[in-house]
Amino acid sequence: MMKAGPAKKVSIYVGQDHQYHGESVYAAILEFLFYHKVSGASVTRGIAGFGADHHMHTDRILVLTENLPIKVEFIETPEKVEELLPKLHEMVGTGLIEIQDTTIVKPSETSKQAARQESTPPLKRQGKAKLMRIFIGENDKWNEKPLHKALIESMRSNDIAGVTVYQGILGYGANRRIHKDSALHLSHDRPMMLSVVDTEERLRAFLPVLDDMVQQGLVVFSDVEIIKYTHNYLEVERRKAVRP
Amino acid sequence: MKLEGKAKMLRIHFGEDDKWKDKPLYRAIVEKCRELDIAGATVFRGIEGYGASTLIHRTHLLSFSHDAPVMVSVIDSDDKIQKLLPFLDEMVDEGLIAMSDVEVIKYSHQDGARSE
Repeated sequence: MMKAGPAKKVSIYVGQDHQYHGESVYAAILEFLFYHKVSGASVTRGIAGFGADHHMHTDRILVLTENLPIKVEFIETPEKVEELLPKLHEMVGTGLIEIQDTTIVKPSETSKQAARQESTPPLKRQGKAKLMRIFIGENDKWNEKPLHKALIESMRSNDIAGVTVYQGILGYGANRRIHKDSALHLSHDRPMMLSVVDTEERLRAFLPVLDDMVQQGLVVFSDVEIIKYTHNYLEVERRKAVRP
Repeated sequence: MKLEGKAKMLRIHFGEDDKWKDKPLYRAIVEKCRELDIAGATVFRGIEGYGASTLIHRTHLLSFSHDAPVMVSVIDSDDKIQKLLPFLDEMVDEGLIAMSDVEVIKYSHQDGARSE
């Protein structure tokens, strides 16, 4: 695991077509680095360049060459670089290896570590909390924006632990007007309920904002006990990878 | 109407297909609430559930049956809610009625603010 501080940056320049034991040199190097637990490596492909053989590598279609310049780069501790160099030397063939001194300002983290760091939840995991319910209409607006959407955005930026919006099918409230969804009209004025759970202090601190935004509606508090409040960072990352 | 401080919240759970005098039960309840001048009532439709009858309520996209679980949430002062209870007892044949304490933070409306 890399720490902040001095380190070595290794850049290896090869041609895309260069081979090492029947596979591309860059792929072989990347695999070598991976299985030697290097903390990270990137391969970038140039669009044109030339090397020791003074042959121009380019992606111009007319030249029909695929041999573009490739750069493999990784950052590691000086000891680790020392250990890997002999093998890299052998693999790189006609390519070039360059080492620079560098400084890691912020090491990259695996998502697991990041999750641990982030796990200062805005809400205690268990114990007494308040449930706030906000009853409004679907057509209510705030600054030209649907009020329920504006409320969610405002709660997110105020670090409220979580909010869920429910859409009702029928209802009436303070103004005695029936809110309902009429299939024949294109108007949808259904009742909406936002349910928010957080500590009482946080919710009370948010009330002035809420007061400003909700011109008509009902806001109630009730006591709840939090049994579980977690999020699975890894799972979220995995889902993002599947459905970007 | 004024509503502030301590109040009660009623939640009535039943099925969307439940009827009261040939009328959807949820509509009948909302109408009864209005008649009794209750501060407000909202009907929510769930997407799946089961209850006292242990029958799974679920909306089927393909079939025309829509027996989704329905919840009516009613908030008002304790004495108003107490007035509603006998009617509910009579109307809700099969279902669940739960009451909880709430604290009213805000109950407001704008007269004529809505141009409809």
